[in-house]
Amino acid sequence: MSEVVPLIEALDPALYGSKAAGLGQALKDGLPVPPGVALTGSVVDAVASRDEQVMRQVMESVRPLGGPLAVRSSAVDEDSAEASFAGQHLTLLNVRSADELASALSEIWWSANSDSAITYRQRVGLFTRPSIGVVVQLLVTPETAGVMFTQNPVTGADERVIEASWGLGEAVVAGRVIPDHYRVDRAGNVLERTAGRKSIAFRSLPEGGTVEEEVAPELVDRLCLEEGQLAELSRLADRCEEVYGRARDIEWAIADGRLYLLQCRAVTTSGP
Amino acid sequence: MGAPIDVLKRIPLFAELDDNELERVASVFKERHFSEGETVIQQGSGAAAFFVIDSGEATVLVDGKEQRVLQPGDHFGEMALIDAGARTATVLASSELSCSGVTFWDFRPLVEENGVIGWKLLQTLIEIYRSERRQ
Repeated sequence: MSEVVPLIEALDPALYGSKAAGLGQALKDGLPVPPGVALTGSVVDAVASRDEQVMRQVMESVRPLGGPLAVRSSAVDEDSAEASFAGQHLTLLNVRSADELASALSEIWWSANSDSAITYRQRVGLFTRPSIGVVVQLLVTPETAGVMFTQNPVTGADERVIEASWGLGEAVVAGRVIPDHYRVDRAGNVLERTAGRKSIAFRSLPEGGTVEEEVAPELVDRLCLEEGQLAELSRLADRCEEVYGRARDIEWAIADGRLYLLQCRAVTTSGP
Repeated sequence: MGAPIDVLKRIPLFAELDDNELERVASVFKERHFSEGETVIQQGSGAAAFFVIDSGEATVLVDGKEQRVLQPGDHFGEMALIDAGARTATVLASSELSCSGVTFWDFRPLVEENGVIGWKLLQTLIEIYRSERRQ
C-alpha cells in the first residue's frame, strides 16, 4: 500500500479520508475533477514532524501536477463519527513551493489537533487520535465558481439550486458576497435567475495565497452564468446523482471555459 | 524537529526526567506558527496541546485582563498533556509566533510505553500538589 497515490486510486476513506475518496471515485466515474494526489494521515503526520524523507516522497508525487496547488484537508474519521467536520479543517489555496506545501500540511495537521477540533470531537463522542488525510490538487483559477444543490435544500423541491459569483468559490462558500441565485428543473429549463451583489472576488496571487479584490462596478450586479453554462451545470448534477445518489451539495468552478467539480457531498440539511 | 531540551528542562512537570527521557519527549513536538493577533488558546475551551515558544511574543489573559507577556523559551498549557480539561487562560500571539507543540494524543502513548517517565511525572505532580497545598 502506498501512502501517496494519484487521486483516482484514493478510494479508501479509512486511509485517505472521505474527501479524497469522494473525489477519487468521481474521477474514476469520469467526472471533471482537477488532477491531484491523496496523502494518508500518517504522511501528513510525518511531514508535520519534519520527516524529510517523507516530504521528498510527497514532492516527487506532486511535481507532475505542476502548479499552483490547492491543499485540502480530508478527515479520516468524518463518516464513522456521523458528524460533519465541515469548517473544522482547512483548505489552503495557491500553494507554490515545497516549503509552502510543507507549511500547508503542517497547518492542516494542527487544524485537526487544535483546541476547537478536540473540543468538537469530544462533543460528538470521538475520543480517538485525530487522523487527517490531505488532497493536493492543481488549483483551477476560475472566472466563475460557486455551489450547487441537486435538490432544493430549503423547500425540498426536485430542482437544482445554483449560487455563483466571480473568481474563486471561497467568496460564495464563506458568504462574502450575495451570489447570483438560479433554479433549474431536471430537464435543464431555467426556472429563476436572480442577480446577486458580487462586490468582491477572491483571486490567486502570483507569489502564493489569495487576495480579495473589488469587482468592476459593471459586473457587480451582472449575472455571471450564461444559458449554456447553466445547462452544463445541470448535466453535472445529473452525473453526480447517478454516481453518488440524490440530494448532493456540489462545489464547482469554471476555468478557461471548462467546468470542474471541486467537491460533492451529501446535503446535510433538507427542507420540510 | 523537536523542542529544545534545555527549554524542557526548565518546565516543572519535566523536572525529574533525565536527558534521554527529555529527548524522547522532545521528539514528539511539532512546529506551529501563529499570525500576529491570532488566538493561540482560548480560556474555557478544551485543551489539545502544550506549547513552548521558539520565537515571537504572546500575551496571557485571564477573564480578559492581561496577566503577562511570554517570550521565547516560555511555555504554556502543560496540563493539556494529561487532561484535556478547559483552558484556564487565553493566549494571544502579540507578534508573528513560532512554537513547538505536543498534543495529548502524541504524549500519552509515550508515557504508556515508558513506565519510568510515567512514574517520574506522577512524582512531580504529587510534589506540585503538596507545594500548592502548603501555600
